[in-house]
Amino acid sequence: MAMRRGVGLAAFDKHQRTAQQYSDLGSTILQTHISELTDQLLTFQAALKKFAQSHADEIRSDPVFRSEFVKMCSAIGVDPLASSSANKKGSFWAELLGSDVNDFFFELAVRIIEICRRTRDVNGGLMLVEDVKGRINSVPGRPPVSQEDIVRAVNTLAPLGHGFGIVRLANKDFIRSVPQELSRDQAVAIEATQAMGYISVPILRDNLTWETARCIAVLDDLVASGLVWVDEQARPKEYWTPSWIRQ
Amino acid sequence: MSTLTSPISTSSRSTSFPFPSIYSFPPFFTRQPNSQTWTSQLSLWNSLILAYCRYNRIWRIDLNTAIEWDLFNNRDISRSLKLETCKEVLDSMVKKGDAEWVSGSGSQVSKNTSAIIYWRRPEEWANIIADWIDSTGQKNTILTLYEIAEGDLSLSQDFRGIDPTILRKALDVLIRRGQAQIMKSADGEEAGVKFFGSQ
Repeated sequence: MAMRRGVGLAAFDKHQRTAQQYSDLGSTILQTHISELTDQLLTFQAALKKFAQSHADEIRSDPVFRSEFVKMCSAIGVDPLASSSANKKGSFWAELLGSDVNDFFFELAVRIIEICRRTRDVNGGLMLVEDVKGRINSVPGRPPVSQEDIVRAVNTLAPLGHGFGIVRLANKDFIRSVPQELSRDQAVAIEATQAMGYISVPILRDNLTWETARCIAVLDDLVASGLVWVDEQARPKEYWTPSWIRQ
Repeated sequence: MSTLTSPISTSSRSTSFPFPSIYSFPPFFTRQPNSQTWTSQLSLWNSLILAYCRYNRIWRIDLNTAIEWDLFNNRDISRSLKLETCKEVLDSMVKKGDAEWVSGSGSQVSKNTSAIIYWRRPEEWANIIADWIDSTGQKNTILTLYEIAEGDLSLSQDFRGIDPTILRKALDVLIRRGQAQIMKSADGEEAGVKFFGSQ
């Protein structure tokens, strides 16, 4: 009984020994776990790599397939576009796929910048993702891209500063390619253009219950920023969103 | 003078011109107050005018009549470009070398209403005419300007019916290159042009 209870001085020793043994056992298990996990991760990475390589063409050329693949990566916590890796070799993605899919998004980003730059004078630097997609996909001989691809590519530009971003207005994604942020009134007014293509002082006044002065101020602001075009031949004047110009 | 644009025929031919989508955008017909927007609007008008003239083979625009063309009037949306804005557009085309003001056919026509539209530059016309001379074996023959523009051999050519002023500018290019020479008749009138072909 005395032994089992472990009373007396020797009990302290034993207690310590037991604790040590538990601790050793614990770290062994942990080690095993880590090495198992590492093995699993390596296996997984190898599988992902193999998958990505054998399907690289589809990933590049089929927007639906690409989207599913990107979703799969996100689901298991791999950001395919994390480019700010401490690893000198570049992102996990770049390492995994070589120059394939990673480049796809960066090349797409470059094309998006080019389109936004070229159309900035027309639209004041705010363009529907849908329109960008239309322009990109109108170039023959290139695999089609989806709106999701474009949004993703624009998001890769975030580290470059405040110049580029996605703005969601009236349930549509826009690319903003000028540093200037929209004021709340401007954003609301632009959302309103999405219904009919244009807004006017009475439309804003009646739908948003704004004072006339406030309507005039926001419309003048939008014209000054190049975000809307004015039609002076309409009575009252109408202010049109350039996204209404369809190709 | 038969080669000068006759507004009636051009406006009837123009109906099939495939207008770009910007043409249905009502504010396109209002001069935009924002200077950057206006710059882009100018360049859109510039391209539209060039495309329209090329399609309808219009060599000159006289704003006194052209202002009524469908080019500047979208009747579907009841919008039209004001005369003063048209002038600004043409002015900008002149600056870019896509057009050139000419004095109107009437002697006292106010300045800057009539312009040659270069949907091809004189240099391009020069190359096209030189190629045509080569391919039709007309080297060392003398052709009148009328024959070049209206002759049987130029029937299917892009320069068919070319405005005499533009033709003369194209020929000047060829003369400078030593590929052509103006022949004068006994009374000193320009009678024709002799081509030497490219060296």
